[in-house]
Amino acid sequence: MADIRKWFMKAHDKDNGSASKHAKPDSSTTEKSAAAELQSGKAELSGGESTGRRITSKYFASEKQKSKDTTETEELPIKRKSPQDAKESPAKRRSQKDSKESLKVPPLQKLNKIDDNDDDDAVISSSRKNLSDVTPNKKLKSGSGKGITQKPVKIEESDDEEAEGTESSRKQPSGRGRGGRGSSAATVGGRGRGGGRGGFMNFGERKDPPHKGEKEVPEGAPDCLAGLTFVISGTLDSLEREEAEDLIKRHGGRITGSISKKTNYLLCDEDIGGRKSSKAKELGTAFLTEDGLFDIIRASGTKAPPRQDSKKSVVKSVESPTGKSSLKVQAKTCKDLSAGASPAKQKRRTVEFSSLTWTEKYKPKVPNDIIGNQSLVKQLHDWLAHWNENFLDGGSKKKGKKLNDSGAKKAILLCGGPGIGKTTSAKLVSQMLGYEAIEVNASDNRGKSDAKIQKGISGSNANSIKELISNSSLHFRTDQPKHPKTVLIMDEVDGMSAGDRGGVADLIASIKSSKIPIICICNDRYSQKLKSLVNYCLILSFRKPTKQQMAKRLSQVANAEGLQVNEIALEELAERVNGDIRMALNQLQYLSLSMSVIKYDDIRQRLLGSMKDEDISPFTAVDKLFGFNSGKLRMDERIDISMSDMDLVPLLIQENYINYRPSSVSKDDNGIKRMDLMARAAESIADGDIINVQIRRHRQWQLSQSSSIASCVIPASLLHGQRETLEQGERNFNRFSAWLGKNSTFGKNMRLLEDLHVHILASRESCSRREHLRVENLTLFLKRLTEPLHTLPKDEAVKMVVDFMSLYSISQEDFDTFMELSKFQGRKNPLDGVAPAVKAALTKAYKEARKTQMVRTADLITLPGIKKAPKKRIAAMLEPAEDTIEGTGGDTLAESDDENSLDNDYAEDSTNAGKKLQLELQNLKKEGMEVQLDLKGVENSNAKKPGGRGRGGGSQTSEKKGGGRGSGSATKRKR
Amino acid sequence: MLWVDKYRPKTLDQITVHEDVAQNLKKLVTEQDCPHLLFFGPSGSGKKTLVMALIRQMFGASAEKVKVENKTWKVDAGTRNVEIELTTISSTNHVELTPSDAGFQDRYIVQEIIKDMAKNRPIDSKGKRGHKVLVLNDVDKLSREAQHSLRRTMEKYSSYCRLILCCNSSSRVTEAIRSRCLNVRINGPTDDEIVKVLEFIGKKEGLQLPSGFASRIAEKSNRSLRRAILSFETCRVQQYPFVSNQAIPPMDWEEYISEIASDIMKEQSPKRLYQVRGKLYELLVNCIPPEIILKRLLYELLKKLDAELKHEVCHWAAYYEHRMRLGQKSIFHIEAFVAKFMSIYKSFLISTFG
Repeated sequence: MADIRKWFMKAHDKDNGSASKHAKPDSSTTEKSAAAELQSGKAELSGGESTGRRITSKYFASEKQKSKDTTETEELPIKRKSPQDAKESPAKRRSQKDSKESLKVPPLQKLNKIDDNDDDDAVISSSRKNLSDVTPNKKLKSGSGKGITQKPVKIEESDDEEAEGTESSRKQPSGRGRGGRGSSAATVGGRGRGGGRGGFMNFGERKDPPHKGEKEVPEGAPDCLAGLTFVISGTLDSLEREEAEDLIKRHGGRITGSISKKTNYLLCDEDIGGRKSSKAKELGTAFLTEDGLFDIIRASGTKAPPRQDSKKSVVKSVESPTGKSSLKVQAKTCKDLSAGASPAKQKRRTVEFSSLTWTEKYKPKVPNDIIGNQSLVKQLHDWLAHWNENFLDGGSKKKGKKLNDSGAKKAILLCGGPGIGKTTSAKLVSQMLGYEAIEVNASDNRGKSDAKIQKGISGSNANSIKELISNSSLHFRTDQPKHPKTVLIMDEVDGMSAGDRGGVADLIASIKSSKIPIICICNDRYSQKLKSLVNYCLILSFRKPTKQQMAKRLSQVANAEGLQVNEIALEELAERVNGDIRMALNQLQYLSLSMSVIKYDDIRQRLLGSMKDEDISPFTAVDKLFGFNSGKLRMDERIDISMSDMDLVPLLIQENYINYRPSSVSKDDNGIKRMDLMARAAESIADGDIINVQIRRHRQWQLSQSSSIASCVIPASLLHGQRETLEQGERNFNRFSAWLGKNSTFGKNMRLLEDLHVHILASRESCSRREHLRVENLTLFLKRLTEPLHTLPKDEAVKMVVDFMSLYSISQEDFDTFMELSKFQGRKNPLDGVAPAVKAALTKAYKEARKTQMVRTADLITLPGIKKAPKKRIAAMLEPAEDTIEGTGGDTLAESDDENSLDNDYAEDSTNAGKKLQLELQNLKKEGMEVQLDLKGVENSNAKKPGGRGRGGGSQTSEKKGGGRGSGSATKRKR
Repeated sequence: MLWVDKYRPKTLDQITVHEDVAQNLKKLVTEQDCPHLLFFGPSGSGKKTLVMALIRQMFGASAEKVKVENKTWKVDAGTRNVEIELTTISSTNHVELTPSDAGFQDRYIVQEIIKDMAKNRPIDSKGKRGHKVLVLNDVDKLSREAQHSLRRTMEKYSSYCRLILCCNSSSRVTEAIRSRCLNVRINGPTDDEIVKVLEFIGKKEGLQLPSGFASRIAEKSNRSLRRAILSFETCRVQQYPFVSNQAIPPMDWEEYISEIASDIMKEQSPKRLYQVRGKLYELLVNCIPPEIILKRLLYELLKKLDAELKHEVCHWAAYYEHRMRLGQKSIFHIEAFVAKFMSIYKSFLISTFG
């Protein structure tokens, strides 16, 4: 902030030096200058131009710079940088020379210069007018205000300068004209200083546009910024970024993302010295404030009527050079329009309309005319050119076929979005190579029989389907020796569906046997229907042409049609149609019916309605809805956005609405208003849910709009604003909805609970309801299951718990279910602190007990919700047998039971390792040998076991929280 | 075995709490003219116990031989086939199920299962064709369509089966169904009755009950006998011998909800709302029914609330509870209630305390 301000100040200083020079003489003779201006000759004009240029700062009121050609801009820095007045005069002279030279440069520039001159006039009058009423350009005032303060210091310099400056009398009047502005500004400066400066100081702290919507956005001549390139940085004074972009584009300017040499202005108000500004400084790009921009635009706007007057007067008066130049200008514009204004042309156009649509008329005639994708066209060309060699002549030689891999595919598949020239390029290429193209598209029947026609081409023309192709094919057959050149273009192959039975399969078959090249065209290469076809084709994916490419082509068309459209408007058009050049042409033709000059705004307006549907992701949709500018969206736009994904967008809205600080509430003491808005939004979201039930359950689909309004549009419009984070470390992006995940966890837990409930019912001991089981019984169940493990000695506790479990047919999984259902964040797991040995013993004892219990439950129940239930059950029933084998095997070994449990210990111990490490070590020491033995035995009998242990080991690093689960899974593995 | 199950009366004669109702039912059954029955009353008042005892009275000990099945019904619903899975508990003579588990397809269950039962009627010992009993739980949660279809089938198949309907509130059962049933209201047991039961259990278990302990449990139980017995046993597990001022442990989720309530009371901000949402999700994920969450939350909030606001807050709670039943994603509605409460409470705090 500080350094950029300094930088600005420097600019002021430099400029003010020159500005103040002229302030003096002008104040005396402003009127004269105005009069002189009109009469001033060519040279004077240019002189004025040059001085005027010198006056303009880098920082404000620098619109003159844009009009310079590149040579001038190159020299400009020199002029600007020259600190000494002595040096300035040569520079001035040079600039004068420049301006003389510039007389010879194309008239377009002259037009600009005239504009500048007119501009001065306008400024004088307007500034005079503005003496009384407050002009919005605070910046200017503050700058000039500062200029005044520094005046005493510089005044000598300026005198000197003047002395030198008056060396040529030409300069003077124009200088005055220029200076008129400065003086008027200076007079207001006193007032402007305080406010302007204060404003300037304040900017640093704010992030939103500080005077959002407070300033009146000027209307200017439609192409007053033509040829200028802007880069916007930081926040502006009153405009949102998008608004500023829109404004510039509307006036013919160009916006780019980053600074380059071509950039004319860096638009910024209180820039924070980011990368852009530093680079701008490096490159010497001019800085422009929002007010400066407004000035430029406003100047052009107010000038518009006087410009005409002056032109007229000039033209009328004498054959002054200006008049000549303006004539030239007119000539040029006429050329530009390709004499669109002349009635004759008009007539010609109307005649043309009746004949052809533009899409037909301006179809590319040669492959090189195709916009974009030239490499693909080339590839297509090569493929087609070598087709005969590869497949027909060399068809018998298999070697050649295989070696040439790009030509290995007998057919080619062009894919890409509509309107980007696939069909056109296919046709053109084949035409160029002298092939006769037979096009078969969706309007033809392409069922099996039709595919046989193709076969007919390659030999057996015993087909009933006919005319369309057979004529040419017959023709082809008769001429076969001479012109074996036919190509089949299968257009819209992804549209081959219901009507075209077996279409794709037959197409593949014919590709295999074909003796002519086949070009297939589709929109979506990932279509399911084309899956098999893709293998037989060389695939060329056409890309959308860039908007510049399209704009170029469109402007050619526009010129040829005598339509005046500027480049920016065309680029906008290209962007809006999403790369579809056919659509762009159609739109252009349609627009041309009503107007001969098409501006940016016209395109915008026209295409808003007919905008191509774009797929936007739910996240983008939510961003748009909650974004700063969403207040400006129309209702139907909002509905469209929220309808882009009817399921996900409401969920995302619901998830994120809390995070937004509504911009509609400016001053919110204590956040009451925000809270209120949030309550309303929440209610509206709940409304949306209710409506959604009506839609889904009762199929009231006509309510879908209401649903999206209630669940998306209303909350978003209440709360749209800036997103803020609620938790530390959260990224400031919209979260994905938690509801989906939670709902599925809920579903899972519900199934588990149902499972448990069924088990308990099956025990015939209880007949409580599922809901009661969770809400009321669970606490006690949990206590009964875990409490003994904490308090009683191991064996007793285990026996007690297992008895209880078997009484209620609670399985090991159900035990885990209990744990799962009673798990709350930040609550301690009831199994915490239970010695792993006890847990292991419990598992063991439970398994023992289950051998008797199992059968009963397994017999009666098919588990709900689990599809594989029977298998699992059977497996579960079978496995105890394995256990017994193991047991009997273990009988021979000493303390087999203990070891088994020890084995379990091992798995679980590792989960809360460290805690019981000592105990374990002791055990190991004592029975290390047996453990080894047992492990081997176990590995033989049950291959799963090591896996279980490995898992336990894996969770060693994880926290104790996972311990309960970990042990559960480990034991499950073993089973 | 839990005491709730252990000391559950098995026959109508054993029933102590609603003795008069039990005796009337017994008379009703023994006179062989059992109409459709609709039991309604608060949770934990003994409806289910009565029903089980009644069935036992009807069919003897065979009614206790139940099997649990997870049946799949394939229903032809006009344009498509619907498959519905539901758990049923059945003996030869009765089937018990909770049709509302099937969600909005519950009406197919109601129709289908009754037809199913009508197909295989049991023959009693005297060779007469007997009838089956269908026990439907949670009738008040049945959708309106299901209740309408129930109305028709109740009459159509009345010779084959008797329906015993259980619900908490008869207000959500349609008039038509209520008029077709003998309505039996089961009141929640009074505190004295609960104390009597607890003392009975204590005696059977050979426990020393400090004076006033049982009545404290009864007080806490909110007139739910089940609740009382459960917390009695929880206390027993937690600490025995009892001390007269022993804390009666709350349910885990109740504790959690009171935590949420105090969170809400402490701070009303978007951030807090977000945290509360997370906690509410926890509760929901742990299968606590949303209605119960909302009710309990209101209860906890009211405890600490200024009297001025109570009315308004209750109004909103009822409002959102109603909407929750209409809707599907209960979290939205609970959250809306919390947001509303925060908004009200915050402006109240600021207007009174500045």
